[in-house]
Amino acid sequence: MAKKFTPVMQSAMTHYAQLSDDLNKAESPYLTALRQSAKAQFLEQGFPTRRDEDWGYTKLTDFVQTHFRLQGISHLTQADILPFLPSFGATRIVLVDGWFSESLSDDLSALPKGVTIESFEDLQQVPESAVQLQAHQQDVAQEPFAVMNTMLLNDGVVIQIDKHAVLEMPLFVLHVQTQPNHLSNLRNRITVGEYADVTLVEAYVSLSDDLCALTNVVSEIDIASHARVKQVVLQQQNKQSYYFNNQFVYQAEHSGFNTLYAGLGCVTSRHQNHVYMNGEHIETIQNSACYATGAQTVDSRSYTEHNQEHGFSQQLHKYVLDGEAVGVFNGMIKVARAAQKTDGQMDNKNLLLSDSAQMDTKPQLEIYADDVKCSHGSATGQINKEQIFYLQARGIPRPQAVRMITEAFLLEPVEVVSHGAIREWVAQILSQTLRG
Amino acid sequence: MLLKVENLQAQVEEKQILKGLNLEVKPGEVHAIMGPNGSGKSTFASVLAGREDYEVTAGSVAFNGEDLLEMDPEERARKGLFLAFQYPVEIPGVSNKLFMQTAVNAVREEKGLPPLDMFDFDEYAREKIKLLDMRADLLERSVNVGFSGGEKKRNDIFQMALLEPKLCILDETDSGLDIDALRIVANGVNALRSPERGFIVVTHYQRLLDYIKPDHVHVLYNGRIVKSGGFELVHELEEHGYDDIIQQHQGE
Ligand SMILES: Nc1ncnc2c1ncn2[C@@H]1O[C@H](COP(=O)(O)OP(=O)(O)OP(=O)(O)O)[C@@H](O)[C@H]1O
Ligand SMILES: [Mg+2]
Repeated sequence: MAKKFTPVMQSAMTHYAQLSDDLNKAESPYLTALRQSAKAQFLEQGFPTRRDEDWGYTKLTDFVQTHFRLQGISHLTQADILPFLPSFGATRIVLVDGWFSESLSDDLSALPKGVTIESFEDLQQVPESAVQLQAHQQDVAQEPFAVMNTMLLNDGVVIQIDKHAVLEMPLFVLHVQTQPNHLSNLRNRITVGEYADVTLVEAYVSLSDDLCALTNVVSEIDIASHARVKQVVLQQQNKQSYYFNNQFVYQAEHSGFNTLYAGLGCVTSRHQNHVYMNGEHIETIQNSACYATGAQTVDSRSYTEHNQEHGFSQQLHKYVLDGEAVGVFNGMIKVARAAQKTDGQMDNKNLLLSDSAQMDTKPQLEIYADDVKCSHGSATGQINKEQIFYLQARGIPRPQAVRMITEAFLLEPVEVVSHGAIREWVAQILSQTLRG
Repeated sequence: MLLKVENLQAQVEEKQILKGLNLEVKPGEVHAIMGPNGSGKSTFASVLAGREDYEVTAGSVAFNGEDLLEMDPEERARKGLFLAFQYPVEIPGVSNKLFMQTAVNAVREEKGLPPLDMFDFDEYAREKIKLLDMRADLLERSVNVGFSGGEKKRNDIFQMALLEPKLCILDETDSGLDIDALRIVANGVNALRSPERGFIVVTHYQRLLDYIKPDHVHVLYNGRIVKSGGFELVHELEEHGYDDIIQQHQGE
């Protein structure tokens, strides 16, 4: 039976389908075909509704009220983005409203040896590279917002790290939203060669507090054998905006992927890792630190497939919720029959600072191998009164005591960030956000 | 008068625990409070420190002439009241050092002193660590997390040494300490003794009191101080236990 949509939802769907058609006018037949097939799928499946199991708590009823569109180009100066630049040294890549900005980014022709960075828009002009840009269509097609992303393909970042290249300098990718009702549709492709090592920091920010914008990201990340990718994603957009990010990560044997998501902004945000551990002896660490207050919904999820032996995966997802905020965690560890000696752990811990905040959590295991060590846990609670009293009894005022305990709670997942200056930077931003 | 407690009555969850407690502590004095399990010793200490679970239903407490019961716990601490907890609390993720630096500066603020920065604090803390023969790495760790029972107690006394309070209340600080630790903690306490500072030491055992030599010893039973005396009372209790006292006051 065909899915039923409300008129508002139907109208939003038609709007985005039209947007897709508009993009097809001047481009390669390959991309047009890709967008069109995604569009067909999108129109058939539509946006998730409350009845979709995976979307029960992350509601889109407000989201579909606004028809986000491509609003044209903004010109920013270095001074505009200065407040968003990190305290650590990095190779900088800037996208404004989803479009790669050459003037704000470092000179990409003078990058360290072993790195190539191009804009998705430039690359897709070349038919054969365009084909390579969508390496994992099948997986991508499983997620409604990823399908929408394919339907609206335009720009993004394509990063290639050559084999054996060890980048001392982290890559810092800044996404700035500048226009109300604008849609940033980002398609990133990251390939990391054998034995390569790279640190990638992504920051999603809004230029001002009152514009409502949509960011829809899909990243495909391929990590070759023995390569290491360390990633931090900081989502700090204003509290009107929407953020959907689907990361598809494919790991070969002996590789490592270590990611931290800091989810702080947006009225509704959803960050999803899809990790496929397709070789032996792979290590994967996925943490998140989320804080929401007011009417925010913050959703972070992970799907982790252990497909070969001796895989190690570890996750710690922490949420601090205040006001009427809703936190959503969903994690699935799937262990294939071949994945003996898997060690997989997933933990979700949540602190509710108000009576009306709400946490919905669903950690799951699906295990087909018999010799594995897997665990998952989840705990949600209020701040410990004994702890507050202990600090007060030493002269620390109650609000400060609450803040110290909350901060310490939320910063634990950040400990996985091995780069000291990046860890400090994220920790600082989290602390500041908690202080309001 | 440092502390003047008059007819203090307090309850928790509708249950009356303190039933008219009187006590006066002058600067420089050390008072020991003993008494059977469940008699209300920790409750008394908690009420003094301002734990919110306990409701004071009657009586008054003056601390340096001010109404203690009107103050928030943090205000009491800033004004110089210190409770060493029977069960020090673990706070994951908050470093002992940050905790104590924040606390010391809160108390300094109250005294109109400028805050200590990290270096000044380190130096200040180093002296006190030596005094209590603490492992220096305990300062870098999360507050009481993974500390042994004895280390937790010692950490509380270390905090006391840092904050230099006017009234120190020790709730069974000696239980769980090994013989050496007991001596060290007792030395720490003795080092803090001064003509301005008062102590209330809650304990079940003579060992700690042998080191500290209290001026006054009280027996708390059923929410009241039922017997007071000098140091000799400790020996008496050690020998005869609480049986006589309990029998005398049963049914009150
Ligand atoms: N939060 C509470 N809720 C319920 N009952 C309590 C609470 N705190 C104390 N009590 C009760 O009050 C009474 C006195 O307890 P308190 O801890 O003050 O005793 P104590 O003299 O310190 O004993 P001990 O020597 O065992 O430490 C006990 O019966 C105890 O169960
Ligand atoms: Mg007690």
